[in-house]
Amino acid sequence: MSQTKMKPRVAFFDFTGCEGDQLQIINLEEKLLKLVEIVDIVSFREATSAHSDDYQIAFVEGSISRDHDAERLEEIRSNADTLVALGSCATIGGINAVRNSQDFDTVQKRAYGDDADRIDSWEDAKPAAEVVEVEYEIPGCPIDKDEFLRVVTDLVQGREPSLPKYPVCLECKLNENTCAFLREDICLGPVTRGGCDAVCVSEGTRCWGCRGLIDNPNENAAFDVLEEHGLSVEEVTEFYNMYFGWQQTAEVEQ
Amino acid sequence: MKILAKYEFDELVNKWIAEDPREVVGATHDGTKFVFDDIDDAEELRLDYDLTMLSPKKYFFPQRERLVQYDTNENDYAMVQDWSEESRIIVGIHPYDLVAIEQLDDIFIDAQGDEPYRRKRENSVLIGVTMQSVSEHSFAASMGTARTETGYDLLVTELEDTYAIEIGSEKGSGLLEEAPTKEASLEEVEAVEEQKAAVESKFEKGIEFSPKQLPSLLKEGYDAVEVWDEYADGCLSCGTCNVVCPTCYCFNVDVVDYMTDEVGETRRRWDGCLLEEFAAVAGGENFREERVARHRHRLMRKGNYLYERFGDIACVGCGRCTKQCVADVADPSEIYNELWRSVNA
Ligand code: SF4
Ligand code: SF4
Ligand code: SF4
Repeated sequence: MSQTKMKPRVAFFDFTGCEGDQLQIINLEEKLLKLVEIVDIVSFREATSAHSDDYQIAFVEGSISRDHDAERLEEIRSNADTLVALGSCATIGGINAVRNSQDFDTVQKRAYGDDADRIDSWEDAKPAAEVVEVEYEIPGCPIDKDEFLRVVTDLVQGREPSLPKYPVCLECKLNENTCAFLREDICLGPVTRGGCDAVCVSEGTRCWGCRGLIDNPNENAAFDVLEEHGLSVEEVTEFYNMYFGWQQTAEVEQ
Repeated sequence: MKILAKYEFDELVNKWIAEDPREVVGATHDGTKFVFDDIDDAEELRLDYDLTMLSPKKYFFPQRERLVQYDTNENDYAMVQDWSEESRIIVGIHPYDLVAIEQLDDIFIDAQGDEPYRRKRENSVLIGVTMQSVSEHSFAASMGTARTETGYDLLVTELEDTYAIEIGSEKGSGLLEEAPTKEASLEEVEAVEEQKAAVESKFEKGIEFSPKQLPSLLKEGYDAVEVWDEYADGCLSCGTCNVVCPTCYCFNVDVVDYMTDEVGETRRRWDGCLLEEFAAVAGGENFREERVARHRHRLMRKGNYLYERFGDIACVGCGRCTKQCVADVADPSEIYNELWRSVNA
């Protein structure tokens, strides 16, 4: 790389989430060294106590679920040239958004017991793009390390990052997995955005949909398939809601 | 035709494994399904399989493959070809997959001059096997591909305690040089013929007309919207029917840099015409945006377009797409039969 080029300054922030995506970045190991060759990391709570508000690219993890979150996110937005949402919670609400379809009082009591009243949480956990403008999204629970590096590299090189449009089934088949449906299991791979190399199915389980719905899913067909494999309408909805809840509500509202 | 006792055949395979510089792979069972994979011992072969997950085309045209590495740090731009030239002995290929490989040879080698494919293909030896079991999803007999007289270097047919081995090429006969083969008797030759004929009657599925009629049927049935819609409505556009198909040859090339713009590589990955972005071109146009257009396209291609271009019916009736389509809307035999009925109604 030509030494004259300025390295972009990059910061990481977390909201409501498990910080599993930042952990993936720490786990990049030797590739982390390559990463710091192309960017300057100025804020990354998981790895360093140093912090600066002077950055070009901000990665935000976690869903947004209270006023304080929104204020912080707005400030990050105003500091950053480019905002990238990281992981399922920040891109599609993630597991946090499961509660959006449940009774809020019950949810609060279950989570905080007697302290429930002192928590100022919103009824809905929201993806970052609901609150501020987000340029790019890296989905996944957790994110795929290589996809993260690809997006960073694209941003540094001035290219437009893009996500796969194909569903999980494609990579699943390339890996010669036995289809979950052929071993009497169920799966959301046909409607979930690919790019994860179908790791969950390759490990012997099913796709849970953590990367969110593909752009134009044939949802009627997907529902039919799940029902034919023995799920009731409620069960299909529940399976769908685990990760797709926010996207589906957003779709209905459109 | 040559005869080898079964144990002698196993010894021969083990000798290849031990001594031949080529890698020995074959039809085997991985605990949950039949696949083509490396074998360390002839015992791992399962020549009685019905259908493998993917066809052996993956050995010449891998699911993912690096093509070129580039490095612009060098004073002058360096670009190195970087695909593998692996060579293999592939044991246990069913006739329909042999037919599919012959079609791919026409396309990759003769029409496209694709070197990564050609090297691996020409470095490999194809050992076919007469089918012993037939998948409930397969309709190869009706496509005329449950048996073949070409496309193999050796073709093995199981008789009682022996294997009858037909020689298809010098590459094939070379493999038998040191084996204690006997010349087949007239009875044994007849027994092999009977085996091949018997297999054809084991198929539960089939197209109800001659494959020769398929190109015309598809031309006439192109606008039979009811038939196409019926299947496309349930289609998830997942691309599975493409990537499991032994004759599909589309791929996508990505440029992947190693986190700097100076060093990187190009890679290709299997692609499929059922995927939404497949026919999208720069500028945002998509030739086949509608699900039904994509779904029909695959069946048109298999039965008409490729015939027009290369003279081959590009569905060999293996049944992989039928088996793997979770929505159960991919079965070419079912769709072609329905089209046949609709056109003849
Ligand atoms: S296991 Fe899931 S992702 Fe894999 S092919 Fe089947 S439906 Fe698709
Ligand atoms: S026909 Fe079946 S396998 Fe093919 S894309 Fe549609 S749903 Fe997937
Ligand atoms: S279209 Fe289906 S049945 Fe025909 S060759 Fe391809 S995978 Fe086999």
